[in-house]
Amino acid sequence: MERRKFLSMTLGAVALAAVPASVRAEDFRKAKPNVWTAHTVEDAIKAMYGTTTLIEEGVELKAAGEKYNSGRKAVASNGGAIPVDFSTKIPAKTIAVFQDANPEAAVMVIDCNKYSVNNYSIKIKMAKPGTVTVVVEGQDGKLYAAKQTLDVALGGCEG
Amino acid sequence: MAGIKVKAKLKNGVVKVKSMIKHEMMTYNMAEKKTGSRDNANFITHVTATVNGETVFDASTSQFLSKNPILKFQFQGIGKKGDKVEMVAVDLKGKTYKGKGKIK
Repeated sequence: MERRKFLSMTLGAVALAAVPASVRAEDFRKAKPNVWTAHTVEDAIKAMYGTTTLIEEGVELKAAGEKYNSGRKAVASNGGAIPVDFSTKIPAKTIAVFQDANPEAAVMVIDCNKYSVNNYSIKIKMAKPGTVTVVVEGQDGKLYAAKQTLDVALGGCEG
Repeated sequence: MAGIKVKAKLKNGVVKVKSMIKHEMMTYNMAEKKTGSRDNANFITHVTATVNGETVFDASTSQFLSKNPILKFQFQGIGKKGDKVEMVAVDLKGKTYKGKGKIK
């Protein structure tokens, strides 16, 4: 039973992945291809949400150990794996992470649902010093954001 | 086998999940430098986590996650001790990676 359940679930998941993008609103790579090829954070946010009006509040961001608005500049010793933690109490529809150090701006877009506790921690690559921007699309349709500028001692995209 | 490691812990009604996807996460620039062709780039493009068939985490990702990316996320309102968190990731070449972990 256990095995059968597992198989049917994984098969279901594969089948789901094969469904065209039009019926899977949450696959942003297919739904919004421009987001992933945009070279600047501003373009990417615009491609994603149609506007670049950001409200800088309500979002907690910690990159390379330094908090947003701490006034100190964060330094990442290894650009290949920079810890980025972010959370928000705002009821969110989507959360997107961008940075301006790499050839393209988008890092990831999370599709929130009713089970989500919006507290995430990821590791990203940055080729050179830059700014990490986290944008939260609230259920009220407004965009909330936090930014953190950091130095990168060793670039991450070259290997 | 390539896969995903999943650890999940229930505390005060919130399930915290820590996962690691074993993947090279080759960016376009890296691919060009190492193999001479940008087409060899390969990275995770989509990650989904489910509990009892319900999606609890769903993200589209790009090449700028680190190599063997670690993802931590939380959810509540579903899942009890002993339930399994199942994760599926898809990369650019269409290969799927799977992993699961029991909620402790």
